[in-house]
Amino acid sequence: MHEYSLASELINALLPQVEGIEGRIVGVILKKGELRILSDQALANAFELLAEGTTLENARLIIEPVLVSVSCPSCGYQGPVDHASDEAFHFAVPVLSCPQCQSKVEMKAGRELFVDSLTVQTPAGTEAS
Amino acid sequence: MHNIQVNSEDILKRQLELAEANRCLLKDKAVIGISVMGAIGSGKTSLIERMIDRLGADGHQVGTIAADSAGDDDHQRFLSHGADSINLNTQDDCHLDAHRVDHAMDHLPMDKLDILFIENVGNLICPADFPLGTAKEMVVISTTEGDDMVRKHPKIFAQTDILVLNKTDLADAVGVDPDRIVSDYARINPHGKVVLTDARHNVGIDDLLAALGFACTNTL
Repeated sequence: MHEYSLASELINALLPQVEGIEGRIVGVILKKGELRILSDQALANAFELLAEGTTLENARLIIEPVLVSVSCPSCGYQGPVDHASDEAFHFAVPVLSCPQCQSKVEMKAGRELFVDSLTVQTPAGTEAS
Repeated sequence: MHNIQVNSEDILKRQLELAEANRCLLKDKAVIGISVMGAIGSGKTSLIERMIDRLGADGHQVGTIAADSAGDDDHQRFLSHGADSINLNTQDDCHLDAHRVDHAMDHLPMDKLDILFIENVGNLICPADFPLGTAKEMVVISTTEGDDMVRKHPKIFAQTDILVLNKTDLADAVGVDPDRIVSDYARINPHGKVVLTDARHNVGIDDLLAALGFACTNTL
């Protein structure tokens, strides 16, 4: 149920940044850590509704996952972790343990939520950059 | 069509900053903050009551933030056990956030507290996304909710220090096998601690306090 308020914050933060952009913004790429408990569908729906009447109203929210990444203080491993998963039950969670030595790890990525980039349709005859 | 990189901060950055400010305040005041999350009716309040008794008998000054969407039942219970408590009605919001905790702490005698229990609204989804700045986080479920709770809410259990399984005395009556819950938790959080309790009959409270890093010496 936080998806509407987060979509609202996202749009409010983006609008000043997109002023003056030449062309039509057709995509907003949002990076979402896989441990965030947010519904992609609800976020996209909220974005679509709240962006109406703004310069973002033609943009589709595209949510790309950021996988959990860790560093292991015991063996020095850095990288992704194993997942406990069962696709039939929509169950896939990162296991916060070193995949090499099974020690407790420090999480480096996997809880973020930020706009990475915008996709812009350039006006006809204009060079895309 | 082209892509433009955006100079964007994390949308939840402010929440993380407020949680960090709470962490600093708790550290400055030498107060150990414990976040208590869990299902509705799992026994969060009862467990905190027992811990207030145990820690109080050892001379510790315990504070509580009792969060519920409405009412002050939990707050009154904590007061009756001698805690310094503040009632925090979230007014239909389903979780606490660091900002509300910050304001609640303004109304508590932080200089004299040793331990602060922050009882979140009963919910196994939203609280996991809003860190409060506490030193430890525990999640409470009980046998009466069924033995599939960990697999139904894997994300909160994957990232929390301690799982408390309460109402162990009722496991047989409701046909629940605690081992199933314990093994599910071990699968998704191999470094988490599991504590089995029966708060109503004061069973497992010392184990829970030990898991939180407290060693009680009294023999209540």
